[in-house]
Amino acid sequence: MRSRSAWTVFWRTVLGRAYPRIIGAQREKSWVFFEIFLPLLQVTAYVYIYRAIEAPPEFIGFVVLGGAMSAYWLNVLWSMASQLYWEKETGNLELYIVAPTSRMAILLGMALGGMFATTLRAIAVITIGMLLFHVSMTVQNVPVLLGVFVTTLVALYGLGMLLSSLFLLFGREAWHLSNLLQEPVSLVSGFYFPVRALGQVVAAAASILPITLGLDAMRQLLFPAMLGDLRFLSPEVELGILAGLAVLFLILARRALGYFEALARREGRLSIRGQ
Amino acid sequence: MSDSYAIHTEDLRRVFRAKRREAKKQKREIVALDGVSFSVGRGELFGVLGPNGAGKTTTIKILATLLSPTSGRAWVAGVDVAADPKGVRRHIGMVSGGETSGYGLLTIEENLWMFSQFYGMDTRAAKARIKELLAVVGLSDRSRTKIYHLSTGMRQKMNFVRGFLTDPEILFLDEPTLGLDVQTARTLRAFVSNWLAERRDRTILLTTHAMHEADELCGRVAIIDKGRILACDAPAVLKRGLQSEAIFRLRIADLADAHTAVAGRVDVSRFAQTAHDEHIEVDLILTSDGALPDVLASLQSAGGRLLSLEKREPTLEDVFLHVVGHGFEDAQREGGGA
Amino acid sequence: MRADESRGEALRSLRVAAWLGWQIESNWADPFVFAIYSLVKPLAGALILVFMYAVIAKGGLQSPLFPGVFVGNALFIYVPAVLAGISWTIIDDREHYGMLKYVYTAPVNMLTYLVGRGVAKTMVATIAVVMMLLLGTLGLGVPIRLGDIDWPLVLGSLVLGSAMLAFFGILLGGVTLVTARHNYGVGEAVAGGLYLLCGVVFPLDTLPTWLSSIGRAIPITYWIEAWRRALLGQRTALFSGLSDGALVGIIAGSTAVLAVLAVLVFRLAERRARAKGLLDMQTMY
Repeated sequence: MRSRSAWTVFWRTVLGRAYPRIIGAQREKSWVFFEIFLPLLQVTAYVYIYRAIEAPPEFIGFVVLGGAMSAYWLNVLWSMASQLYWEKETGNLELYIVAPTSRMAILLGMALGGMFATTLRAIAVITIGMLLFHVSMTVQNVPVLLGVFVTTLVALYGLGMLLSSLFLLFGREAWHLSNLLQEPVSLVSGFYFPVRALGQVVAAAASILPITLGLDAMRQLLFPAMLGDLRFLSPEVELGILAGLAVLFLILARRALGYFEALARREGRLSIRGQ
Repeated sequence: MSDSYAIHTEDLRRVFRAKRREAKKQKREIVALDGVSFSVGRGELFGVLGPNGAGKTTTIKILATLLSPTSGRAWVAGVDVAADPKGVRRHIGMVSGGETSGYGLLTIEENLWMFSQFYGMDTRAAKARIKELLAVVGLSDRSRTKIYHLSTGMRQKMNFVRGFLTDPEILFLDEPTLGLDVQTARTLRAFVSNWLAERRDRTILLTTHAMHEADELCGRVAIIDKGRILACDAPAVLKRGLQSEAIFRLRIADLADAHTAVAGRVDVSRFAQTAHDEHIEVDLILTSDGALPDVLASLQSAGGRLLSLEKREPTLEDVFLHVVGHGFEDAQREGGGA
Repeated sequence: MRADESRGEALRSLRVAAWLGWQIESNWADPFVFAIYSLVKPLAGALILVFMYAVIAKGGLQSPLFPGVFVGNALFIYVPAVLAGISWTIIDDREHYGMLKYVYTAPVNMLTYLVGRGVAKTMVATIAVVMMLLLGTLGLGVPIRLGDIDWPLVLGSLVLGSAMLAFFGILLGGVTLVTARHNYGVGEAVAGGLYLLCGVVFPLDTLPTWLSSIGRAIPITYWIEAWRRALLGQRTALFSGLSDGALVGIIAGSTAVLAVLAVLVFRLAERRARAKGLLDMQTMY
């Protein structure tokens, strides 16, 4: 095989691994019902909770935005982090390891491939929210908003890559960890209400999760009437922290993937199946 | 380590340790490889032959950088597998028997293209090569079939194509014809032979427990059992080593076990028996042809009735029997794992 | 097949599947870690609601809505547990372990097999529900008093609810037989939808009429109401005119209808899966 530049291999790998996600979603469309329509109903439930308890109207907007962004968190958790567990179980992981390509490229391909369905879900939630529940969003600062959104995703996917490194070593333990993380993260990250409501200490601790600061910043930028005592940090500060988290998680992910792969090779766990 | 070798191992050891809670009813430590050393020259088709659980797959996994050795060293294309696994991967490909890899909703062509991208292949070149290789294995008309509709044989053919698609310098074939019908297995073996004949600088390491496959394809064969290499040479040389011995196959009725009749006899070098419905098949390696009448007399005294007698040229199975000290089926029964 | 042979096969399938389900659910960790995991997950989900009330509702946890909502939320833990436990079995056996085809070629009663596989998750959910109710009673002021609990109604809700959720799971299992494995569990996704429609965390009449009508056709709505009556002695306004007997009758009747529908859907799905060769398909992407 001709020697090819690492960059070429990287991007071809990303495209190659994204392809099954994109095509798979076209060939079997039941995901539209299970991964977009039904989650939409769940977000709607929280809207009605707020209506039932007569929450201020901007809380409806908070929960709609939280529901939209939770799609990305779930994509990271299930379509990327725990995906290596499934790849191990089906025998694909061995072939990925033997190939002269970057694990991060494979994970990035998975994430980008799933981005279509995820973004569709996020758009559906926001659109329904705005149309049905009369949520009104006022974009205060487009560059900062875009910066926050993109940086949040980069940091989130970096975290996902870091988590996925655990799957190289652990099998079902790591899968159960993903399962376990779902609800606690929803709670402390402020998917359904501003994280500041949980107190400064919890909000600060939860800020290690990129989605926490991302959501808080986006809420402040989209709902300028957001009550002062529910804001955590200013959007610009949160953007700065997110950028730092993005760099940190990507570096850690690269190191962790190498470390855990070597450990899994030593312990003979790369090929264990049927867990 | 000399760069003239495609593969070189020195005293490879691999020990698997069970977790405490899993080890209550089984051994805590399993020694899968116990000091394996061999070298494979460039352009060779080298076989590793042994029963289930002998250490064949463990050897390949170490060389393919899926597993680290517990001790010892190995080099593939001159690169240390433990120190620089990424460096090794640029030179290798792997095909395993019974693989279930791939994505069910994708077609054969799409799956193969996807894997080609992990090696950075240009799409046009990849598609041309896929088309060429699918034609060789007889899957051209199924290139647009989704994976989950494929039979076992077709899936393995696809796996074969995947392994050869990137034209690797060194290819590991781990029991590649496992579970395949005779015709398909023959097609794939012919494919392997032709590929190597056309590319003199390519190397293949093949593990198998099918003696005839090793005999047919391999320039040299290493016989492995219980994690150790017991013999390593060309099949013809290994068989010639038994030429001085007299090898017979007997079919005997009315006798359940020939062991008591032949065990302990000095004129019997090696002995193995296989039970069938109404007779047993006994493979004997005698010190000379002249020992045969006495051995037959022993078997008849024990109540056996000779149905047929055949003097054979030594096969690799006989070599295995001679080297290991028990039959291949006996080793299969004891082995079990990979 | 004779009736007693059929019954024997059904019981054997249930028993073996329950054992297998437990092995799969619990063998990945030591008991302590498993206990932590089994509790933290549902509790964290339920605490979202507690914080919403504590932080935002007028009156906080003293809001008159809170006890009913808390009890509904706690009992709803069963719903994703059972639905996912049963429907995920199809995916797990088909795509992960490659065993579904062997189960189908064995003399197994598939319906009781699926129910059996869901038993482990149900047992774990029971512990979580009890812990939630304890937390609510002891820590959050939910007025559940042992002496005031309507135990016959509890027993009836438990028995009927188990059957109802099991049949729901079977219906979803049928759907899973003929769909691909996507990233999220079908059981959890459907439970998310039911969360909206069954009056679990807000009065059903808060929804637009057309949506609340859908909710009124779902047995889970009445099941949640039964638990509220049994534990709190509360009746929601929408069902205030229904006696306990009528409520239980509705649950029983709708469960019977659901049972017929679930078995029908499952058998149709099986037929389609056999016709299209889907019993051993692999669809992960």
